[in-house]
Amino acid sequence: MGSDGREDEKILDVRTVVKHFGGVAALDEATLDVRRSSITALIGPNGAGKTTLFHVVTGFYRPERGEIRFEGERVDGKPPHAIAKRGLVRTFQVTKALSRMSVLENMMLAAPNQPGEHLWRLVLTPRAVRRREREVEEKAWALLELVQLDKLGRDYAGTLSGGQRKLLEFARALMSDPAMVMLDEPMAGVNPALGLQLLERMQQLRAERRLTFLLIEHDMEVVMTVSERVIVMNEGRVIADGTPDEVRGDPRVIDAYLGVHAGEERAAVAEATEGTR
Amino acid sequence: MTPALATIFTSVDFWTFVGVVAGIFTIFALGLQVQFGFTGLLNFGHVAFMAVAAYTMAILIVKVGWPMWASALAAIGMAMAFGVLIGLPTVRLRADFLAIATIAFGEIIRLIALNESDLTGGPQGTINLRGAGTAASFNAEWLSFQNTVRDWLEKGFGDVSRDQTMLVIIWTVVVLLILLLQFLVHSPWGRVLRSIREDEDASSALGKNVFAYKLQALALGAALGAVAGLFFAFQFSFFSPQDFDPLTTFFAWIIVILGGTGRNWAVPVGAIIFGVIFAGTRFADIPFFDTADQAFLRLILIGLILIGLMAFRPQGLLGKREEMVLG
Repeated sequence: MGSDGREDEKILDVRTVVKHFGGVAALDEATLDVRRSSITALIGPNGAGKTTLFHVVTGFYRPERGEIRFEGERVDGKPPHAIAKRGLVRTFQVTKALSRMSVLENMMLAAPNQPGEHLWRLVLTPRAVRRREREVEEKAWALLELVQLDKLGRDYAGTLSGGQRKLLEFARALMSDPAMVMLDEPMAGVNPALGLQLLERMQQLRAERRLTFLLIEHDMEVVMTVSERVIVMNEGRVIADGTPDEVRGDPRVIDAYLGVHAGEERAAVAEATEGTR
Repeated sequence: MTPALATIFTSVDFWTFVGVVAGIFTIFALGLQVQFGFTGLLNFGHVAFMAVAAYTMAILIVKVGWPMWASALAAIGMAMAFGVLIGLPTVRLRADFLAIATIAFGEIIRLIALNESDLTGGPQGTINLRGAGTAASFNAEWLSFQNTVRDWLEKGFGDVSRDQTMLVIIWTVVVLLILLLQFLVHSPWGRVLRSIREDEDASSALGKNVFAYKLQALALGAALGAVAGLFFAFQFSFFSPQDFDPLTTFFAWIIVILGGTGRNWAVPVGAIIFGVIFAGTRFADIPFFDTADQAFLRLILIGLILIGLMAFRPQGLLGKREEMVLG
């Protein structure tokens, strides 16, 4: 990926990013970074700014202030497609399955470097277009098998259940040969056994292909088992950042979730968040 | 049925005329199918592309003295340029705003044609292109081409009328265009267009430049509208701004919805049904109504058919019902 290969290298670097909606600061100088080839969880109570951060980083919202670097280059203010082309791909909290297209087509769309997406190449280099289509289709089926959607490949994506759509989005994101994938609640509605397989697959991709994952997740069990690092947001700011164990014991995190300072309650919450959903 | 009506509906000339009109509207509505059916763009000013092309060609032939084929190509190019021009500021808008902007664009073109008499011949139409007192004509070259085709057809089929020749030419073009569109829609390029129709955020999150593709869809749709405009001009030899009122755009919408959104072969089906109703009611002698009322009755009838269709077959005649219920 053109990197020097250091394990602690930042693939994504977000500095003091600000985004308001009306008078509300959805992101209030949010600052965080994500290391290459890591699985990082982004957590926080509802309204903490997690999804807004995703939107800003992937170009769907323009930040009012701050800097965002991906692979060392500024991406803030760039349009979403340009950021995706650099290898930073996301999924959506409310899934965006392309309903009146087949599951397979959803996958094939995501493949990069398809010359046939340009009109002149369709006419001038039809063989290259067909060759790429065959490659892409093969890869699409393999990924669909991974998420156990291969039997539904010819069906309309609009017929999939909520959980299946999450899986399709996950597979579709991988289809685009990304360097980093940002997953917005990837496990919501997914059957737990399959969810575990996906988590294993994420770890495998991280190890083998040095893929980076940043995921918003509410399932604490998932967060604590899969991620080596947890970033906690509240009211548009990053309030804690560390290993799952460090974060779990951080009083600011517990306060953010409950808005209380009482010591006993804090202890009770620490106990409650340990290993439960 | 009165005897006169019966004669009309059994007359070859009548059906030939219906076929020609249906063919022109097929090409016209194919442009909308590309923009709306495949890309999801709400274009309510499609008629403008027809108008721009027809006027560009007529003006180039009559006033500049260009040959017909060069003028026709320039006319298509001009319509595509207008497609991009209207797209640049509006395509980023939400769908409903795009609809408003395009309907305004369509009216602007018509009003320019109506008022810039020196350029367009004004309300009297293209017959006035050389100024009052001299009848201007732009289709001499087309007629001679049509006669060449007619002679060729007559070698094989005996007596062939002018309209029948036109019918053959137009439907040949229709079939070629549909084959081209089928290829495009099922290509990776068309896949991107359809993804924009489904969810443009998903499309751009996967690295597709939605803006650029929308402009391409607008330009391609404009080119198809332009081809329809040229055939319209040739068929009727003369036209005026009132031929390009907003109703014409809605005829294309009726055809696309009647046939089935997102399906190329549905367009000629929709256009033929529309053509039969449109031309058929023109000649139908309906009791208790005078001729002027009948013109309105025709529109009421088309509206009723559309309402009935929406109620009982919302996916259109060739559409797939399951696509209507997908979330």
